[in-house]
Amino acid sequence: MAAGPYNYSYIFKYIIIGDMGVGKSCLLHQFTEKKFMADCPHTIGVEFGTRIIEVSGQKIKLQIWDTAGQERFRAVTRSYYRGAAGALMVYDITRRSTYNHLSSWLTDARNLTNPNTVIFLIGNKGDLDAQRDVTYEEAKQFADENGLLFLEASAKTGDNVEDVFLETAKKIFQNIQDGSLDLNAAESGVQHKPSARPGQTLNNEQQPKDSNCSC
Amino acid sequence: MEESVGSLQQGNHPLSKKLKKILDTRLDNDKDMIEALKTVSTFFTDNNIRTRRNLRGEIERRSLLINQQFVDAFSHVVKDLELIHADVQSMTVCCKDMTDRLSATKEQTQELITMTSDLKSEEQRLQVHSDLAQAFLDRFQLKPNEMKVFHGTRDGHLDPGFFAVLEKVQKIHADVKVLLRTNQQTAGLEIMEQMALQQESAYERLYRWSQSQCRSLTSDAIDITPIQQQAMKALQNRPVLFSYTLDEYSTARRGAVVRGFIDALTRGIPSGPPGSPTLESEKKIQGPKPIELHAHDPMRYVGDMLAWLHQASASEKENITQLLSECEKSTEDANRDTLAHVLEGACRPLKVRVEQVLVSEPGTLTLYKLTNLLKFYHDTIRDIIGKACENISLLETINDMYILCRKLFFNSLQYLASKLLDKVELPPSDLSPPRTLNDTIHLLRDIFDSHDSSILPAAERHTDLVQVMTQVLDPLLQMCAMSASQLQPADMAAYVINCMHSIKFMLSLYEFTDQKIEMLSAQIDAHLDTLVNEQAASILMRGGLANVYKTILKHEHDTGPLSKLAGLDRSAMTSAFQHFDDVIHSPDESVLPQVSMLASATLKEVASSRANELVSSAYKVVYDVFTNEKNGYDSATFTVKTPDQIRLLLC
Repeated sequence: MAAGPYNYSYIFKYIIIGDMGVGKSCLLHQFTEKKFMADCPHTIGVEFGTRIIEVSGQKIKLQIWDTAGQERFRAVTRSYYRGAAGALMVYDITRRSTYNHLSSWLTDARNLTNPNTVIFLIGNKGDLDAQRDVTYEEAKQFADENGLLFLEASAKTGDNVEDVFLETAKKIFQNIQDGSLDLNAAESGVQHKPSARPGQTLNNEQQPKDSNCSC
Repeated sequence: MEESVGSLQQGNHPLSKKLKKILDTRLDNDKDMIEALKTVSTFFTDNNIRTRRNLRGEIERRSLLINQQFVDAFSHVVKDLELIHADVQSMTVCCKDMTDRLSATKEQTQELITMTSDLKSEEQRLQVHSDLAQAFLDRFQLKPNEMKVFHGTRDGHLDPGFFAVLEKVQKIHADVKVLLRTNQQTAGLEIMEQMALQQESAYERLYRWSQSQCRSLTSDAIDITPIQQQAMKALQNRPVLFSYTLDEYSTARRGAVVRGFIDALTRGIPSGPPGSPTLESEKKIQGPKPIELHAHDPMRYVGDMLAWLHQASASEKENITQLLSECEKSTEDANRDTLAHVLEGACRPLKVRVEQVLVSEPGTLTLYKLTNLLKFYHDTIRDIIGKACENISLLETINDMYILCRKLFFNSLQYLASKLLDKVELPPSDLSPPRTLNDTIHLLRDIFDSHDSSILPAAERHTDLVQVMTQVLDPLLQMCAMSASQLQPADMAAYVINCMHSIKFMLSLYEFTDQKIEMLSAQIDAHLDTLVNEQAASILMRGGLANVYKTILKHEHDTGPLSKLAGLDRSAMTSAFQHFDDVIHSPDESVLPQVSMLASATLKEVASSRANELVSSAYKVVYDVFTNEKNGYDSATFTVKTPDQIRLLLC
């Protein structure tokens, strides 16, 4: 049982994007279940996983939306970028085509999320170094040019998987501390426990609530 | 010694004896004698007569002296002994006194000792009683601090120890039944009643607490505390309170979901949780725009709304699961019902908006895509809520929307189809498929393609599409037939073939169309036959063989030579052959325009070759007749091409 009265003090929403078959669902599964899922079926639409982590002494609940990579789901998955605090953009280091599509994924991510969304580039299948088709340096450069965090990981061995999720959370948390992430814009994908923020006054009178409820 | 000396001085007989005796005496061995002699020698220093005479006296005097000394010495002893005796005497008195006193005391304390030991045993007995009573109390009553925890403070704070106490109360209540079976029934009944009261008040209190806790769960993100989980677990023993608490919870969450949904729709930023600062009015709003900004794009609009609800469903499912996670009894039903109630609020806003989109006539294709989208989200959200999910209003709403959308889609198709028949166009002069047909085919293709890339699982494909196909194709074919009805047979055949071929070509791209394709192929073949016949007839006509051929066929069974018949005489035959020869050298010119208007090169090819086949077989009939001796044409004098040559020429 949790030590405090609450299990966590923040909720961060993540979205995982990238081409079909790069291992998005396996990364999520490895992160939430600490197991490698062989023969992972294609994701239908969007799936969902959670885990509570700790960053700087704060318990944070990650709510992770794993999207289908298949083109036919593009229209559907686009609806899930809304309000993501972190976007994990995955490619397969053994398939250059998945790397080449990154710019289109990045465009989607930039257009559909807010400017503070932390985008983390992940080169998955790091265990298949022999079949490598994209060098670390190249991807690193791409990440640097676009201001993305970057790591190579392996959903199979679990290498760096934890780090990817934690680093993203750390970055988001840092943004909150810097004040660059407006918590109240809940579309930031971060939600804060009301009780964990004591001593704050109610000052939203300027905004009549539900003023445009049209139902 | 004096005696021995005396006996020595006596006479003979006894003397001799004495002497003998003396001589026999071994002085060396007689220590006493030696000692005595030594002593004598200390004072008997002068051996003379006088001294010898005095010796005896001397010895006696000395003996007397010694005895005197003895007596003196002993008189001291006697004196001392007397003293001792006196002491002992007094001691005896003392002792006797003491013994008397002791025995007196003993007599006195006897009673006390008995009393003490009585008290001791009494004490032990009481101790046991007290232990028993304490154990009984521990077992069957609450301690003061527990009572305090149990009844709580004014501010309604619930101590985490509450549940342990509640458990204890329950245990006592259960244990008391044992008492009832013994002869302690009064106590048992009393305790039972007391505990029942305690329990009720505790549940009452727990319920109030949970209710107020649940009522406050109205922010976007909630976290269920362990105490709340335990409270739900405890409340499960009181189904009514449990369900009331869940009602409270679902009402609170329902409000939160509706507010969040409306905010996402209209503001793009949900209102912050109560008590949180809302600074967004000062800051530039970042991030996604409100969903309603995309209302012009039906797919995106509806998709975003449903995706939002999907995410809300998943979050709410987690919340309720967490709330009920400690419960021991199955909570599946409660879980589902609560979730249904939580999500219910979003139904109306969703319904209003989706209906608005649907009635705004977004077009057949969009309607179709929306149908798929609604179905997809219906299934996705259903997967989250759980399998047995009747009466989930959100799902019902989405399903209603799906049914409505599907109906509108088919209505729109229906309308399209009826419009096809309403206003039948005349075929274009080049006999190509009319524009409406092309448009319709294009739409079907779009529908089929969008279905091909559909988000629905493969198992659900095709049933709709077969219906779509039937609903559109039949009127379409009817339209072709109607528009072709005014035409000459050859034109009609070519036109219908063209129309059907373009339909067939489109259908052949999809896998569920086999039957239709088969049907179309059969019809195309039939029309092609017409066209082939026309074409063959036209070639024969132009070549002048037609009449001859027809006459020959008429008289096939006649026995006489055919050259005798009118129209089949030798000159008619030779001129026909002549003419045909001319025509056959330029076969292209003899092709019917209708055949060349066939859109499909393959069909064109097939039509020509089959027509040629017919022509050459007709030619063979005429040739056989001509070269047969019995017909008397004298064919040797006139060179005609053999059927094989003709076949070659036609190819």
